[in-house]
Amino acid sequence: MDDWRYKPARDLGLPLGQRLRSIKRETGMVGRLTHRAWWAAMSAYLRCTQKLTIHGQEHLPASPPFILAANHSSHLDAVVLAIAIPPALRWCVFPIAAGDTFFETPAHSVFAAGAMNALPMWRKNCGRHAMEELRSRLLDEPCGFILFPEGTRSRSGEMAAFRPGLGMIVAGTVAPVIPVCLHGTFDAWPPQARRPRRGQRIEVRIGPALEFAGVANDREGWQRIAGEVESAVRALKAHR
Amino acid sequence: MDDSTRQRLFGVTHALDHPLVVYTLVVLGALLAAAPLLFLALSAAGKMSPALRKDLWSRYFSWLVFIPMMFGPVLLGAAWTIAAVGVLGILCYREFARATGAFRFPITSFVVVLGIVMVTFATFDHWYGLFVALTPLTIGLIAATAILADQPKGYIQRVALGIVAFLLFGVCYGHLGYLANDTNFRPLLVWLVASVELNDIFAYITGKSFGRRKLVPNTSPNKTVAGALGALVLTTAFAACIGHFVFRSTVLDTPVHLVTLGALVSITGQLGDLTLSSIKRDLGIKDWAATFPGHGGLLDRFNSLLFAAPAVFHYIGYFQGVGLTQHPRIMTGG
Repeated sequence: MDDWRYKPARDLGLPLGQRLRSIKRETGMVGRLTHRAWWAAMSAYLRCTQKLTIHGQEHLPASPPFILAANHSSHLDAVVLAIAIPPALRWCVFPIAAGDTFFETPAHSVFAAGAMNALPMWRKNCGRHAMEELRSRLLDEPCGFILFPEGTRSRSGEMAAFRPGLGMIVAGTVAPVIPVCLHGTFDAWPPQARRPRRGQRIEVRIGPALEFAGVANDREGWQRIAGEVESAVRALKAHR
Repeated sequence: MDDSTRQRLFGVTHALDHPLVVYTLVVLGALLAAAPLLFLALSAAGKMSPALRKDLWSRYFSWLVFIPMMFGPVLLGAAWTIAAVGVLGILCYREFARATGAFRFPITSFVVVLGIVMVTFATFDHWYGLFVALTPLTIGLIAATAILADQPKGYIQRVALGIVAFLLFGVCYGHLGYLANDTNFRPLLVWLVASVELNDIFAYITGKSFGRRKLVPNTSPNKTVAGALGALVLTTAFAACIGHFVFRSTVLDTPVHLVTLGALVSITGQLGDLTLSSIKRDLGIKDWAATFPGHGGLLDRFNSLLFAAPAVFHYIGYFQGVGLTQHPRIMTGG
């Protein structure tokens, strides 16, 4: 008979304020119900106010670990991507959000963590150590991440080059990266606007999974991964 | 719902009828008022290091939260007391689930929380039959619903964690709530909670003063035999003396019953503390949570009530009965 193995919450012992802002945060039953309610409300809102279409859902894996990597030009992107994931899989997916925007104040942290289930990425501290933490969480839990490898929202709607941080997380692992191209979110809620515009056509195009188990976990490998995923997203963009 | 039931559940007009409740509030108020003055005096005299000062203040602020949490619902009425015990059970389960990893099994967690809610309902309704029936029913439901995950690996662990949690935080704490169905619930609960809290303090003081031989060093390295015996003697004396005013003119108002009740509170209080310490050592954690500075989580503060509540409940129930003069099944009828 095997010994019992206890696995306490990763964030056990952290005060509430730190828990919300921690990359180790784990949610329980109440958190899951809150996230479900939030995503259901967002799904209903987007389907009512925008013309949302999703292509290629068959490319999504049946279980974690995985990463959804997409172009980024609007605050709607993470919401639209999460809605594209089947509800049965959504509970284990964390959007990776800019810590200095979404976790800046306690109120922001409560919203980002409590509603969106986002994990913070501090742009001043997104080096190898932070990526290693994400990598171990992705594989050990296992879970899914929604990542925007450009690092920030595009201010013009044009896609920028992907940064190698994505490679640091997946190089040499079994976690597939699913390239996703988002059309229309920039028009629906551009960075300059205070609130979303109604009636915009939003399209989510999900591509076949890319695997990087054989890619070395070094600078060259990270660049290669970032380049391949960027090309895949650009190909989806061109496919429209 | 008759007048006496309504008054017991929601009435605050009789909150201060019993002198024990009044004296306890006065003493607690005086202690809370005096503590900051003492800290400031010791600080001014240079007899407190900055670290000790910070620790004492954080503990003091935690007590400012604990005391209203413990005594506020009792003063407001039985309904608030029962609801507060239900909420305490759910929050303690949350800490337990996060520490053991049981929170990763949502179906089991849901059934445990449902069981605690049902125990709270049975208590509020004063339906002892349902209160008793919920133990086997919830245990069965935990075992049966754990099958739904279709993961035989780890099934025993999942089910056992769920059952232990329900028994501790649903059933054991439920007895604390059920005491609120007694007409005399305010002095009874104030006596029980004060005795259990003082039991911890007596153990700490006598242990620090006279303790040499460790009690169970692998389980709780700071507890000593002298601390346990000191707490037993002092708590028994305190609970027996004060108990005389709580159980005045009842069959329990005899020296034998009062001393037995006092000893029962002390022994079960210490066993509750040690049981939760054993679970913590097994998990390799120091505190259940970081909710209250200087204390840890709710379970670190309220662990001593876990076994004391059912022990006192059944002792009183056997010799005198609990809530016998109150109308049963106030919501469901029957």
